[in-house]
Amino acid sequence: MAQLYLQLQAKLMREYYRDFSKYAKGRLPEKKAAWVTAFTPVEILEALDMEYIYPESYAAVIAASGKEQDLLRESEKGGLCRDCCAYSGCYNGALSAGTAPRGLPPRPDVLIATNNQCNTLPGWWNLLAQEYDVPLIVLDYPGEGADREQAFSYVTAQHRELIARMEELSGNRLDDGRLERLIQNSRDSVAAWKKVVGLLPEKDIEPTVLFDGISYLITSRCKPETAEFYTAMYEYYAASPEADRGRKPVFWLGYPLWYHPQRYLKELLPDYRVSGSNYVTWWSLDYDGDGPMEQLFTAYNYTFLNLSAKTKRERLQGCIEKSGAKAAVSLRNKSCKCDFVSARYIELPQVELEIDMIDREYLDMGRAGERMDILREIL
Amino acid sequence: MNILSLSGFIPEQICDTIRFFGYEGQQRISHYCRYASDYISQILEDPEIDGAVFPRTCDSSRTIASYLEECGKFVYPFHIPARQDRAAVSFLADSIRRYKTAVEQHYGTGLTDIPERTSLVNERNRKFRRLYARLPELSYSAYLDMLHGILRKPLREQRVPDDLPPCPCPGGPKVFIAGSTQTGSGIVRQIEAASLHIVGDRLPESHRLFSAPEVPLEGDIFENIALSMLSAMPSPSQDDFSRILREDRKELLRRQVQGVIFITQKYCEPYDYLFPAYREMLDGLGIKSLRITVSGSQSENEMALAVETFADML
Repeated sequence: MAQLYLQLQAKLMREYYRDFSKYAKGRLPEKKAAWVTAFTPVEILEALDMEYIYPESYAAVIAASGKEQDLLRESEKGGLCRDCCAYSGCYNGALSAGTAPRGLPPRPDVLIATNNQCNTLPGWWNLLAQEYDVPLIVLDYPGEGADREQAFSYVTAQHRELIARMEELSGNRLDDGRLERLIQNSRDSVAAWKKVVGLLPEKDIEPTVLFDGISYLITSRCKPETAEFYTAMYEYYAASPEADRGRKPVFWLGYPLWYHPQRYLKELLPDYRVSGSNYVTWWSLDYDGDGPMEQLFTAYNYTFLNLSAKTKRERLQGCIEKSGAKAAVSLRNKSCKCDFVSARYIELPQVELEIDMIDREYLDMGRAGERMDILREIL
Repeated sequence: MNILSLSGFIPEQICDTIRFFGYEGQQRISHYCRYASDYISQILEDPEIDGAVFPRTCDSSRTIASYLEECGKFVYPFHIPARQDRAAVSFLADSIRRYKTAVEQHYGTGLTDIPERTSLVNERNRKFRRLYARLPELSYSAYLDMLHGILRKPLREQRVPDDLPPCPCPGGPKVFIAGSTQTGSGIVRQIEAASLHIVGDRLPESHRLFSAPEVPLEGDIFENIALSMLSAMPSPSQDDFSRILREDRKELLRRQVQGVIFITQKYCEPYDYLFPAYREMLDGLGIKSLRITVSGSQSENEMALAVETFADML
């Protein structure tokens, strides 16, 4: 089982990084490449046989390799403020420096950004568009606050326009049947991933496994191998020993710390186990609806960060209840203003830590340790 | 009805709102725009204010509703399209209709004077444009104070003067002000005190506000308002840096600008992302730039020193 799980993981990684300069070694990509944000309707791009690259994910990889500080300084020299999302600082720094652990991604033929997770990303993409003389497409998702019918008509007009423009760019015609199959793949990936996430409160599993494992739901969600990979992953971890009930279950509310070997502050939590995390549920998109257009609309207009404050709070509450957590570590992330606001309404003992998911110098470990001590006393 | 509105994206043609420019409040939120947190403070703390309307155009403003969930006042987040095409105009027109209905339902009133208000906005903006055209001969700080004072008032009480005090330093190096909404005229007074001659701006409450084309009274008024809003000079939150750079380049050359002072709130990410591209455009034109971040680590004295040094450079 372990072998199958690792083989599938290696295959997905190999495919994703194939055209990065370290592996391409001068070979040009065979497909047109889009640089996309993490909640882009990539089923459309996949159906048109395009390649899509996720700069945010790559910034996380760079930080995990310990290379982010030089690159953050590099982008700052270019005028990008250190207050900006560190994903952008890290990635743009790599582009300026011309170096990164897996090399540089293939040059984009198109830049596609969405505002269904935050408004920072379209700004970052606008800046990238000044560097590369390629089309910039910003997909506007009004979210739960808008009237559903109006939003459906508005978003669908944009999806149809995206299809037309990408058909022209790629030279391929969209096959409706293929798009439907790819959406089904995404659904299957989400379903298989949810089962993996369900293991965290029950089994002796490091959350690191999930923080790293979710990257395939981001980069490869509509590929058929992804559901297969998550199924193998589930079967592998389902055989793990039961969780140690002697350690208090705690909810990790916010991003993984990509620079940290365990992606969370394990050293500050010796008597706790992380039994849940909201981050690992963000890409569990709901492709509900009649036909591909409505399914894509539902999935991408109603992403977690595009929901109303009330719905977000209810979802988060549900997530915490499922985890069985008795306390929460809430992260105030310098790079993301959108992810921690719901924590205000959680009725659990919680500690707030000031962090950045990429920039390790932002965390004051001494202060974080003191806060954890306070939480321990409360409990 | 005392609705506090956060930005120029809220259509004034629908009803009166009090335009927010600043408040010293209790809310302090990490990594969050101070302008937005002060807005939240005023909604929560000021008993005179009974409603909030704000656009979801940046990461701070899109989370405002979460902080106001239990305030018991009218709270209306307004989605401003990130695009300017036909579908976006239709969507925005529908959103404006929904905003009108929401205000009517909450306050139990009928908003029936939209055409009349539209005429008043058109007329006021014509006067603003005339003053802006004469900006090189006028005191910029007086101009900014005038704008802030007027925009806080109900539309029918807004009186645009025909004239303003003269520019205090007409012979100084010509500078242009870019950046986010100003909470007051303190910084521009420092700029004038350094003998810099402010000849133009691209501030949301000034040039960008009245760059919106006049709204025709014939036809569907909501569509007309939406089209006008989306045809104005874009904010960096509207995802068209190329147009901003193109339009500003023309304006800078037309006004023979020697320096640009880029003033933003700390944690104002739309402008933080625009800045590197803007600076590159200025470098290409041989125009010097100074960046000032408000509510950041720079104290007033440091800002004054930075402005003086910049003036010496010019």
